[in-house]
Amino acid sequence: MAGGYLVPMALIVIVLACAAVAGVLHRLVRVSLVLTLPIAISVILVSALTRPGETVLLVLGPFDITLEGIDFAGQTLVRLFAISTAIGLFTLATDPRAFVFDLERRGLSPRFAFIAAATIEAVPAMAARAGVIAAAQRSRGLDTEGSLRARLRGVLPLVGPVLLSSLTEVEERSLALEVRAFGRPGRRHLLWWPPDRPLERVARWLLVAALAGLVAARLLGAWPPIP
Amino acid sequence: MLELRGATYRYAGYARPVLHEVDLALRDGEIVGLVGGTESGKSTICLVASGLAPLSIGGELRGEVRIDGEPTAGLSVHELAQWVVIGFQNPATQRSGVAATVFEEVALGPMNLGLPVAETLARARRALATLRIEHLADRDPARLSGGQGQLVAIAGLLAMGPRHVILDEPTAQLDPEGSNLVAAALRDLAATGAALLVAEQRTDLLDGLCDRVVVVDGGRIVLDGPAAATLEDRRLEDWGVEPPSRVRLARALAARGLPSLAELGWPA
Repeated sequence: MAGGYLVPMALIVIVLACAAVAGVLHRLVRVSLVLTLPIAISVILVSALTRPGETVLLVLGPFDITLEGIDFAGQTLVRLFAISTAIGLFTLATDPRAFVFDLERRGLSPRFAFIAAATIEAVPAMAARAGVIAAAQRSRGLDTEGSLRARLRGVLPLVGPVLLSSLTEVEERSLALEVRAFGRPGRRHLLWWPPDRPLERVARWLLVAALAGLVAARLLGAWPPIP
Repeated sequence: MLELRGATYRYAGYARPVLHEVDLALRDGEIVGLVGGTESGKSTICLVASGLAPLSIGGELRGEVRIDGEPTAGLSVHELAQWVVIGFQNPATQRSGVAATVFEEVALGPMNLGLPVAETLARARRALATLRIEHLADRDPARLSGGQGQLVAIAGLLAMGPRHVILDEPTAQLDPEGSNLVAAALRDLAATGAALLVAEQRTDLLDGLCDRVVVVDGGRIVLDGPAAATLEDRRLEDWGVEPPSRVRLARALAARGLPSLAELGWPA
């Protein structure tokens, strides 16, 4: 049973250690918990209530909550948290500008590189816009403080304006970029790109090798399948 | 010269055109103001003149857009951008979001054109100097005031090296201080010889800046003449345009039988 937890938790520890070094630990934990929580609730409910098992811990009406179900939910959650923290670390610790220019320097089309950077920037931009809209709504009497129910009631009216304004902004932003020849095919002469330090190059190749090794181990049967 | 000849434009999905037989000329070095009430077609004229309509946003255009007598049909947006550029109301949406400094933001356009590094740097420096915002070069574009952000957006357009600059309500989302910054910058820009087409609700901005003012109503040009005379035309308010404050003040003084500003020795 412990085997299904060990690797994801080890990964989480490594990611959190990297986040601490990068100075984004608190933000990473907060963002990862927020992102994982909705899925976690459904995973726990579905797995605990419906997954068959031999050790029944609790009976709730027609549902048997089994130890196997709880265990499966736990393993799924740590894997989800490992994924969300890894993606979150990449998003929080990556300078979009460095990312865009490095991708482009390595041959990626400027358009795809920009889309990657814009995706990274989209979440903090939407969060900032949500903050502005929330402040405006609060000045008009919307209550966003207090109990969880009160906060949810306060958040729901913000979803529409945030999404609509984001969509409108996308069209305006794309037109502004087109006017500045963003759609022109061909390479650009970059003014700057991030340096590729030897340590980073080594780390990069080690990660690629580790990925290749894991895939090979799984194909050869040397790595146990997910239960 | 940038010309619209008989331009009739219908947005994609619309049943009817929003521009009807628009003839408009923007000569090199000329400053033209475009005024009209809400939904009169000012922004649409700007989009058509810049080529974004229909190239980028779709729709159907009848008539022609010409630059120096040559039709622009068949040119791509990035090819047109070296002749005519357009700025919008919201400085935030004109930011690329991937530039760490104002200098990089302004240099983005020339870089996209595939220009050599030296030329890109020179154009960016020139654009910042034209608008007198060299002191913002190292600033984060996301942390500027509205007026500063709009100036950076305009500088980014200037760095493309266009002969015609179209600005669609550049002060609409700015406070008075920001509007004054942009107004001063437009005067500096006009002094360089660039042709400007400025669509604005605020006629005070256009008063004293423009050579000509064009009035749009219901998608048609209803008046096109020298700026001073056009802004003093009594029909402006019928078309949803508020005259400049000096005109309103002069009329108020006259209505009360008081001496005019000139008689009071007020400078012109």
